Amino acid sequence: MLAPCAAAGYSGEVEESQTSICRVELPTHNDVDVVRRRFTGTSGPHVAVLAGIRGDTPEGVRVLYEVTRLLRGLSDLAGTVDIYPCANPLAAYAGVHRWPFFEVDLNRRFPGRADGHPPDRVAWELVQQVAPADVVIELRGADRAFREVLQAHVREGVPRALDLATRANVEVVWVRRPGTMEPTTFAAQFETVMVLEGGAGNRLSEGVASELATGVMNVLATLQVVPEEAVPVHWATLERPRVVTDDHVLEFQCDHGGVFLPAVQAGATIAAGDLLGTVVEPLGATEIARCCAPGAGRVLALREQPSVHTGSLLARLLIDP
Amino acid sequence: MSETVYSAEVPYRGTYRLQRLRFGRGAPHLAVVAGQHGNELTAVYAVNLLASALRAQAPHGTVDLVPLANTFGVDEGRKLGPFDDQDLNQSFPGRADGTAMERVAHALLEATQAEVCVDVHAGSPLMEELPQVRMPLEGPETELGRAMGLPLVWRRPTRSQDGVELVGAWRLRGARALRVTGGQGATLDKQVGLEIANGIRRLMAHMGMSAAPRPGQLLGDVSDEDVHVLRCEAGGMFVPEVTVGERVSPGYLLGRIVAPVGGATIEEIRATHAGVVMSLRRYPMAHAQELLLRIACL
Repeated sequence: MLAPCAAAGYSGEVEESQTSICRVELPTHNDVDVVRRRFTGTSGPHVAVLAGIRGDTPEGVRVLYEVTRLLRGLSDLAGTVDIYPCANPLAAYAGVHRWPFFEVDLNRRFPGRADGHPPDRVAWELVQQVAPADVVIELRGADRAFREVLQAHVREGVPRALDLATRANVEVVWVRRPGTMEPTTFAAQFETVMVLEGGAGNRLSEGVASELATGVMNVLATLQVVPEEAVPVHWATLERPRVVTDDHVLEFQCDHGGVFLPAVQAGATIAAGDLLGTVVEPLGATEIARCCAPGAGRVLALREQPSVHTGSLLARLLIDP
Repeated sequence: MSETVYSAEVPYRGTYRLQRLRFGRGAPHLAVVAGQHGNELTAVYAVNLLASALRAQAPHGTVDLVPLANTFGVDEGRKLGPFDDQDLNQSFPGRADGTAMERVAHALLEATQAEVCVDVHAGSPLMEELPQVRMPLEGPETELGRAMGLPLVWRRPTRSQDGVELVGAWRLRGARALRVTGGQGATLDKQVGLEIANGIRRLMAHMGMSAAPRPGQLLGDVSDEDVHVLRCEAGGMFVPEVTVGERVSPGYLLGRIVAPVGGATIEEIRATHAGVVMSLRRYPMAHAQELLLRIACL
């Protein structure tokens, strides 16, 4: 365990501590800790913010670095904010999607097992630690093959999560029905939860972290955990996002295997019939297919890793009603 | 006895530490390294057996052991690492102000300033190797290598690129250096580990550092032209019919390539020379032209 430590230099009642919630003993005894950084003030809501469930989402880790530094500057805080800066430290160190050695996707192991292998034990402990929170925010980067606009995902039927997500400084709030894999994700374990993501897979993109950090702080201000002045940008200047459901989002797939050459950018506004990209056969230098927008709308996510198969996702499109 | 000779802060996890165990003092001076590759665990076991023997009886002279150079690779169960997916044994001589891996290489070279040095490996996860010492065609190492009494001595020409490996870097510094390997990667073979540890103890006895254990049994003393390499013409599943260390004669059935679907024999692999099986493929799936066996011709 890392020793809890009171942070120095605060003029007010905000206390900062760092705790190892789970220690993973490695074969060489070079142990790894999953860390929680807790900011505690007067009574108020309990918010948990977590990043780095997968090791190829450094953007989320950077967001929490910025949020932590913003919280450190506060003299007043009404509630408790738990920051889990990196849930999967070994994968983050290696910059890979899955937990090394066991080769498992941590975000398919929840709620975990108390007597399982290390990834399952970490999943279990995270759920136990985060469960008391009133609001849970998960930070991700983009899917590893894609560039995505700033967006929040919330579960259908949770109006409080939707209301808070609209304050998260994102362009789109996507209200999602449960998918087939959903029960084993971290986010599925909690009621009032939002997932924030954007940028590009496994790298940092200019501006993304500061925008999402502003969003997290604005959610905390909405909950009155932090004062409005703590938000780097005044809330009145933040754009209200477009709220969409699964019915608005089209998963645009590839009908052919090949190399996808995009013709638009993530976030672009498109008209029906606009060229989104072409699928080519690179060895013979032939064009296999032209991929055109089926309707007017916006590019929510666009593939940047170009190798595709029949059925590969090329883009997520917001189609206008 | 145990000391950290190099450490590096890394993100998200504990500090990387390169640890050395030192036994005895004065001359002569022997250094032994294992675990440059994180999945060669029989080598780590062998050097730790040697540490146990040295704890029980101190040597005449100095023995430095680095049983596990690549701790992070071991934690991840893979050959490479710990930094930037680099191979430590391709990073020598390294630099004190170089990349992360070059700094580890530099520290490892500095920590093994001995007149005789041994780098211990295991086979790859695909291949099982007869315990063997690899050394130059001629020079002072040949006498030292044979003194180890391992089942196989393999004399190989030196190459210009050898200096990027630890053994080559030791030689460029003027040390007499040997490479020892045996067993299979990603597994532990206790018998092979014991044979390698006893081989190093015989080397110590030859150097006047300790009493000699029982003699070893030499099966082959070969150079490259005595090593017959067998590959498959076709891809498929390799089903071996021999074991490592087995003596074979011309025409002997060594194994078969069979169809992964249906099991029909595609190709029979037969010995063309008399000798000893020194390397045997243990991972059965093979592409066309992949290595299946090496025979040390007698």
